[in-house]
Amino acid sequence: MRSSATSSPSADWGCPVGDSPEQAALRDAVRSLVSRGGADLWKRLTAELGVTGLAVPEEYGGAGATLAEVAVAVEETGRVLLPLPVLSTALAGLVLGASSGCGEFLPGIADGSLRAAFVFGGSLTASSGRVSGTAAHVLDGVEADLFVVRAGAELHVVRASDVEVAPAETLDQSRSQATVFFPEAAAVAVPDADPAVAEELLRVLLAVESVGAAAHCLDVTVAYLRTREQFGRALGTFQALRHRCADLAVLVASARATVYAAVSGATDSELLVQGPLAKKYCADVFWQVAAEMIQLHGGIGFTWEHEAHRYLKRAKTTQLLHGSPTELRRLVAERAGLLTSA
Amino acid sequence: MDDDAFRACVRSWLAENLPPSLVGAGGPGSEHELVPERIAWERQLGAAGWIGIGWPVEDGGRGLPWRQQVIFLEEYAQAGGPGRVGHIGEQLLGPALLMFGSEEQKARFLPGILDGTSLWCQGYSEPDAGSDLAGLRTRAVLGDDGQWHVDGQKVWTSLAQFADWCFVLARTSADERHRGLSCLLVPMRQDGVTVRPIVQLTGTSEFNEVFFTDAVAADLVGAPGDGWRVAMGTLGVERGVSTVGQQLGFAREFDAVLASARATGALGDPAIAARLTDAWIELQVMRFYASASLGEGSQGVEANIAKLLWAPWHQRLGELTMDIMGADGTVVGASYELSDAQRLFLFTRADTIYGGSNEIQRNIIAERGLGLPRG
Repeated sequence: MRSSATSSPSADWGCPVGDSPEQAALRDAVRSLVSRGGADLWKRLTAELGVTGLAVPEEYGGAGATLAEVAVAVEETGRVLLPLPVLSTALAGLVLGASSGCGEFLPGIADGSLRAAFVFGGSLTASSGRVSGTAAHVLDGVEADLFVVRAGAELHVVRASDVEVAPAETLDQSRSQATVFFPEAAAVAVPDADPAVAEELLRVLLAVESVGAAAHCLDVTVAYLRTREQFGRALGTFQALRHRCADLAVLVASARATVYAAVSGATDSELLVQGPLAKKYCADVFWQVAAEMIQLHGGIGFTWEHEAHRYLKRAKTTQLLHGSPTELRRLVAERAGLLTSA
Repeated sequence: MDDDAFRACVRSWLAENLPPSLVGAGGPGSEHELVPERIAWERQLGAAGWIGIGWPVEDGGRGLPWRQQVIFLEEYAQAGGPGRVGHIGEQLLGPALLMFGSEEQKARFLPGILDGTSLWCQGYSEPDAGSDLAGLRTRAVLGDDGQWHVDGQKVWTSLAQFADWCFVLARTSADERHRGLSCLLVPMRQDGVTVRPIVQLTGTSEFNEVFFTDAVAADLVGAPGDGWRVAMGTLGVERGVSTVGQQLGFAREFDAVLASARATGALGDPAIAARLTDAWIELQVMRFYASASLGEGSQGVEANIAKLLWAPWHQRLGELTMDIMGADGTVVGASYELSDAQRLFLFTRADTIYGGSNEIQRNIIAERGLGLPRG
């Protein structure tokens, strides 16, 4: 009994995640669009498919959907390491769309004319409608039109025209990073958004993206082991390699279950634990799968030409930004009350 | 009855009926504890209709949906219900008869399982057939008396010394490998059956060797030669049985380990704290995976994946609890009596072996899940 979905990207690697019919259609549409690529991809993803407006309320031109639908799109863009700011812009749609007083930005987010980036780090301060300070390692920061920033106890939106953006040369060349200087930049407060929850939503989506990417690494590796021959046999017949692939499948399946627990109906207080938990677990899984992808490909996996190194670099970047594994472990322990002595 | 009402009903029944002396008894590594009391508990469960709650109504079950089966397991674990001694009848033999048994067999054997009065053990593994089950050698020959006569040896048989019946996989024809196998229902209380406990590395005996010397059996499940199909069908059930109750057991064990780290002060050691946090994270991940694969049925490799998650996790928890104990963990009680920590540490070495070793699980995932070619 062999799996029928073997040569095409397998659906779920042992983790059945029940997409609704609408989610399945969205998944197929995003997957087929990103696999074709093309110079007008951003326009087609946003104007045609509306991926950045998935969670924007309908009155602002969005689809009025939820985190779960954003996750479907992000898993698919993650699979191919799409170098476009779908994750951050769609998340901005979700966060600003749930708040009042951000209506001016929402139509642009929904139609793709405004790209967003998030800033949770740095030491930004806010006073009388202005944000000051510097933040490094701002993902998707180079092409952003809007920055959603945590300054003090609140979230604010700052337009890129009011800040200075210094692009960084990045290890992972499929996603930009910038250092952003906020010179008492004019800011619009996002009144009823909890920055801590917004940060966890970002971590959850980074975890979702990691799962999509890790699943792709496993797909490609398994396909290679099926066809590549040495000693007159397909590599995939050697038990040492089969068992390693099985272990990777366990990691990917469990990571997938973890993110889908977080995106389908976790409450805000659950997210405070599940956000760091999912990002730590899934980024660690992504790293292990990407590293194994190179080893299991042998020499070809070490070349610039092969895609494996791009996944390895994205995996390490995701592990280190928005909370290192050590930092996230500490957050989980603290928020779950594990290490109290009483 | 809706789910909440059902939960309340289970909870209150357990609160009123579970004897305090049985709370937490007979778990992994302690399966030899309080067996007569747990046999009585099976009858109590059966009389109240808590065995086979998911079985079809026409076969004596209650036909409850899987959600409510899960609720029962959750409440049972929450209340600290003892390790079941009737689980092989309920989870292995019963489903096998429901799938493959004759009407007459169902009428004769299912009621005893449902009311908790007949206990079963499983006779698959042999000294020379562990992971390679198709290589087993126990033989059964149909005699002139119309009975099957069984000769051979089984091993790693839980609860054999208490069981009334054994579900035996035996060779009924000389055909090669799995083609000549049949499943027989062998009465344990007869002269041709001898049970010998195996002393494990824990010093206790959860498992036995069972010797069949011209043991007789009247019943064969399905047709002669169907044994492999029946055994594989039921092995799927055994491995696919909801892991939710198991998850709650793991959570209780984790809490106990965490409490011991608090009590000894080991929690102040950053390396121990990190290992505890990682164990807690992985416990949540296993729970998420169990819920994700629930309700979809276990058609694929979900049960195999689940085992590769929980068995090594459980072993690491056992190692962690010893490291928390420190030097005190190296001393045992009189007659090699083990503490909970030591029992967890030692018994979990079996987790990656029984129920299909983890290597066998990886083979299955590689072939059926990933579609990698066979050698």
